[in-house]
Amino acid sequence: MKVTKAVITSAGPAQRALPLQRIIDRDGVSKPVLQIILEEALHAGVDEVGIVVAPGDTEVFAQAVGEHRARLRFIEQAAPRGYGHAVYCARQFVGAAPFLHLVGDHLYISRTEHGCARQLVELARAENCAISAVQPSRESLLPYYGTVGGRLVPGTQNLYVVEQVIEKPTPTEAEQRLMVPGLRVGHYLCFFGMHVLTPTVMELLGAQIERAGASPIQLSPALHELARHERYLALANIGRRYDVGVKYGLLTAQLALALDGPDRDEVLSSLVELLATRHA
Amino acid sequence: MSELARIITSSDPAVRDRSLDAFCRGASTRELLAATVELEALRSSSDNLYHRVRALFFLYAIYRFYLPRTAGVAARGMIPFTGYTHLLNRRFEEAITIFRTAQSAGPTDPLCSALAVAYHRLAFQTLADQVRRSVRSVRGNQWMFRVGHPADQPLRVRTELRERAAADVPFPVLRESTPVRMDLTHSGWSDIFFLGMDFPEGARVLNVSIDLGVRGRDAQPRPPVEAYFRVIDEPVLRLTSIDLATTADITDLAEVFDFARDYLGLLKAAVIAAGLVPPGMEGSGQRLADLLAQLVGAGNGIELVSSVNGIPKGSRLAVSTNLLASLIAVCMRATGQAASLTGQLAEHERRLVAARAILGEWLAGSGGGWQDSGGVWPGMKLIQGVLAAEGDPEYGVSRGRLLPSHHILGRDEASDATRLALQESLVLVHGGMAQNVGPILEMVTEKYLLRSDAEWRARQDALGILDTILQALHEGDIPMIGAATTRNFFEPIQTIIPWATNLYTEQLIAQSRAAFGTDFWGFWMLGGMSGGGMGFIFAPQRKAEAQERLQSLMSSAKRRLEHALPFAMEPVVYDFVINERGTYAELLEGNTALLPAGYYALIVPAMLRADPRTLPASRRVELDRFGAATRTQPELASMVPSLFDQLLPQVRREGAGARELHALLDENGFDRVQHEQIRADMRAGRIGLMQNRLSPTTDIRDVEPGDVYDATGFLPAELERIGQAALAAGQVAVVSLAAGAGSRWTQGAGVVKALHPFARLAGKHRTFVETHLAKSRRVGRSVGATIPHIFTTSYLTHAPIAAYLAAERNYGYDGPLLLSPGRSVGLRLVPTVRDLRFAWEELPVQVLDEQAQKMRASLHAALISWVQSVGEGSDYTDNVPSQCLHPVGHWFEVPNMLRNGTLAQLLTERPGLRYLMVHNIDTLGADVDPGLLGLHISRQSGLTFEVITRRIEDRGGGLARVDGTLRLLEGLAMPREEDEFDLSYYNTMTTWVDIDQLLRAFALTRDELQDHARVVGAIRALGARVPTYITLKDVKKRWGHGQEDLFPVAQFEKLWGDLSTLPELNCGYVAVPRVRGQQLKDQAQLDGWLRDGSADYVESLCEWG
Repeated sequence: MKVTKAVITSAGPAQRALPLQRIIDRDGVSKPVLQIILEEALHAGVDEVGIVVAPGDTEVFAQAVGEHRARLRFIEQAAPRGYGHAVYCARQFVGAAPFLHLVGDHLYISRTEHGCARQLVELARAENCAISAVQPSRESLLPYYGTVGGRLVPGTQNLYVVEQVIEKPTPTEAEQRLMVPGLRVGHYLCFFGMHVLTPTVMELLGAQIERAGASPIQLSPALHELARHERYLALANIGRRYDVGVKYGLLTAQLALALDGPDRDEVLSSLVELLATRHA
Repeated sequence: MSELARIITSSDPAVRDRSLDAFCRGASTRELLAATVELEALRSSSDNLYHRVRALFFLYAIYRFYLPRTAGVAARGMIPFTGYTHLLNRRFEEAITIFRTAQSAGPTDPLCSALAVAYHRLAFQTLADQVRRSVRSVRGNQWMFRVGHPADQPLRVRTELRERAAADVPFPVLRESTPVRMDLTHSGWSDIFFLGMDFPEGARVLNVSIDLGVRGRDAQPRPPVEAYFRVIDEPVLRLTSIDLATTADITDLAEVFDFARDYLGLLKAAVIAAGLVPPGMEGSGQRLADLLAQLVGAGNGIELVSSVNGIPKGSRLAVSTNLLASLIAVCMRATGQAASLTGQLAEHERRLVAARAILGEWLAGSGGGWQDSGGVWPGMKLIQGVLAAEGDPEYGVSRGRLLPSHHILGRDEASDATRLALQESLVLVHGGMAQNVGPILEMVTEKYLLRSDAEWRARQDALGILDTILQALHEGDIPMIGAATTRNFFEPIQTIIPWATNLYTEQLIAQSRAAFGTDFWGFWMLGGMSGGGMGFIFAPQRKAEAQERLQSLMSSAKRRLEHALPFAMEPVVYDFVINERGTYAELLEGNTALLPAGYYALIVPAMLRADPRTLPASRRVELDRFGAATRTQPELASMVPSLFDQLLPQVRREGAGARELHALLDENGFDRVQHEQIRADMRAGRIGLMQNRLSPTTDIRDVEPGDVYDATGFLPAELERIGQAALAAGQVAVVSLAAGAGSRWTQGAGVVKALHPFARLAGKHRTFVETHLAKSRRVGRSVGATIPHIFTTSYLTHAPIAAYLAAERNYGYDGPLLLSPGRSVGLRLVPTVRDLRFAWEELPVQVLDEQAQKMRASLHAALISWVQSVGEGSDYTDNVPSQCLHPVGHWFEVPNMLRNGTLAQLLTERPGLRYLMVHNIDTLGADVDPGLLGLHISRQSGLTFEVITRRIEDRGGGLARVDGTLRLLEGLAMPREEDEFDLSYYNTMTTWVDIDQLLRAFALTRDELQDHARVVGAIRALGARVPTYITLKDVKKRWGHGQEDLFPVAQFEKLWGDLSTLPELNCGYVAVPRVRGQQLKDQAQLDGWLRDGSADYVESLCEWG
């Protein structure tokens, strides 16, 4: 399975401005969040990226991406009909090929020298199936994420066969249906905001949209269906995910980037100074 | 491996289901002791829960029923006090070790009783612990125990409930309507958790969800239980129980876990069990407002309202469990834990609600069966135990799962026509009795684990009856159902638990049969026991007539028996329909987003008194909407008068009650001067529980040889002869003390214990009065004489006993039968905080199971607040008058016979009368035994007190040498609790009296009994020489629809045993066999009394009229 295209969703009413936020990357260069996400995708080896935006945002986004403009396609989501619908808007762009999908308000720091997206794409190629990055998360975070249940692929330590996907489950539901052997008590595999998906997802989303009427379209139900249709894996612990859309999210992401780069000592010194000042 | 160990551990049902009795019957002391050693080893070493529990029950039964009957067990012995205190503190293992160590010196009856209690309690504790662990480990419940901080709370209230049209209007309301459940059969109480978890194959229940209305009151049946949920714009948890007329704004997290503080315990349990305030938050010290902010956003809160459609408590329809389930369901829907916000629930959601309801019941310290939340499911269903499989938390621990499976009967199994026919044939009633079913459930569990032959066969039989009913439903044969449920009641149910029936129920069945003949198709017991919720099945064409008739039958039976049995309310007949939806929710938005009318009746008066400007805008809009609704909706037309009733509630009630109380006081010789003195002394701390005690330096020792005449074996023939001669000469009368209400017998319900038809003897329910008369009849006839029998009475018992005896024509008693009415009465007082604390904190009290102990602590805090708010030592008048008065102790009962002329009358009629046998109403084994009478006569004692060797349950004093002098010492007066445990003998209260010596002690002669003033003076003078004790009693206050509250009140007493301190009375003491001297204080004792041969003994003393 060769992945040559990526889809980034940035059309959500609450997240339209986030990708345009400037932040210092780990190399010390100031750039918009969108550009960092884009570079994550490009480092994974994709040739072309489709960005789903709200109507009227194309121009301002185009300006934010600078040098990568030529490899981008902007796709407008005419009405805010949900996250799944935003992905579905890119169906013509991806055609019949598998694609990498990232959300526009998350930043990632890999545990290895390769980016998170690249690890995911390489594994998808090796396993020849759809695969989502997941992160074991405490149950108090369940209201924020799609969550998967499944079982460990024999002989691996962080690769799971997905059996269930539920969008923002209650802890009750999670405990009954999403418990994964080997995880700490009260921890579940929550989406990382990064997937390699097959075109089947677009078909499933299409069917879902037909049934749903005016209801918002989520991605998780389609992924749940996907797990029933074809082999679908989840890869855990490839790095850390930072949601820039939550309270202090941007600050935390910035600190994480800075502490992961060459300016680590400088940032740490500042932090220590801040802490000392507070105590004084 | 021994025989018993094999029975316990075998996987072969043919071996496992054998009874203990087969092994123990006829075994020697040595063989039984050897068996206890093996069982003790088995229960200590086994990993299997049920092996352990069954071994514990075997040990209990051997010590309770078999060992004491064998020849090698000494009757007299001591129980180590340290072991007893371990028992009280629920440290059962340590208690058992101490008792077993003491037993190594030789088995004694007292030690057997202590070991029996310890094993019994440890067995139930082990079972309860397992249920608790299983409830916590059910998937979907575990996470709630991990949440310890508001930031951990993963639940959010759904957006549909958090959105409103404008900032000043109320949020939408989510309403859950839930039916209650009735069981067509519970197959021998197989819905008890322990049974289902050990014997899932036998755990089967046929359970029907029903809507209910009270006939003549409600227009039509509807789901009797409703729960309402809404978001409010104040950061509080507002809980309201409409039926209990209580509301509270909770702002403190700790208060959510304070269950007994008010009547909102069930709502609090629901809030916790639904995960809104997860159980893991208890004691976290966090702020409730922060937790609410996570759930509904900063500044907002949650309001939860419960409403029960006037269905009385004790209906046996699991109203409270279904209300809990309804509250949990609405909270779970609101937080997305159930996918469906409105409409029915999916099966997996219903199961989760049921699991949470079990959790909630455990939290609130109550407990139901696993079928009780059946109202959550629609229609008719077969609920069955399920074998635990790999992956279940119960696997490897118990054979069955905690949660059963529910199979909803389809139309092929019970057609619409059959359902309708059942509805048209069944008359559902609440008989009005309210009784604690807890002891019955314990008995069932115990008998199941012992596999006693008859009970085990009855259990199999009950399972067959369920199959018959299923078949009858399939065939649409309602008479067949009636026949099956009737047989179920009279055969398996009563074989397992004879106490499931009572005189009231049996009279109703007999009268229905007499009135309707073949059109009466059957009786059906609902829930754990009869007398409350019950079903009567009639031919459909006569149902309306039967409803009418049953109402009048129940009302007249209640009038006849209301002093004999604990009725909590007037009997009612229900209208009902089968509910085919189960629990069901609707979202009320806009102008319809209102709570029920009862809610506004409760809260509007407080709002009217408040400054309108202090009300939140949304509250004002809500009231406006409600006002508009009262003008347009006819069902709300009665709101205005009901609001006036709420605003001015007290005026009418207080007037009538106070007048009646004062009249009763005047009629019954209330001594106001003495009352004021007692109040002043109590308030000043001169009298109280602490002051009841003798000085700590008092020397208390056990009896010495020669102090007690041993009459536990055969008495010399000479004594028999003397006694018979005295009897034949008409020298003896019997005095049964029947002035008391028997507080423990009905837990303060205030019925007349003497009239309680407590057990079936010789095929009929017999009252205490009838039983005592039957014994006097037999003895009298054996000597060819009639024995005068006197029942002493009080303000509480006189009229009912007189009426009952008249109705029963004195049970055909041919001797003189006199009532000696009480001439002294006290007015109960609100206790002092000092005495309450002394009783709760200084005296050794039984520590309860963890959650129940929390409930108790919370209740104690509430009661202390009550005392402080109404005033220590103030008159207790906030109850029906009969519950405000108190008898002043059994010391007065014999002097009353002097004062009211009963003794004088008797002596005039029978000048040869010389002796009295005085005994308590509950000492059933006491009869006018000629040998004991001969002993009393030959020793020329003034008083001869009968004592028995002590068992662990015999608390409250004993025979002692007090500073060297032999006397009876009341438990209240013991300087130290442990002193009682050094005394071998317990006072039975049965006393032989030499009338002339007693009169001499009063400084009276027979002739002077006619001089009233002299008699009164004599009684006062002697009374001054015996101590006055302050005691605390629990009294029930009934209110609402069968609700009951218990209040501790203070009263004073003088006690009969203190006469033994008077040297001139020349007291003697005789040890009698236990079967003669034991007393029945608690209905929970009845089953053991029946099984250990005591009942047979009593029956052998009786000759029925």
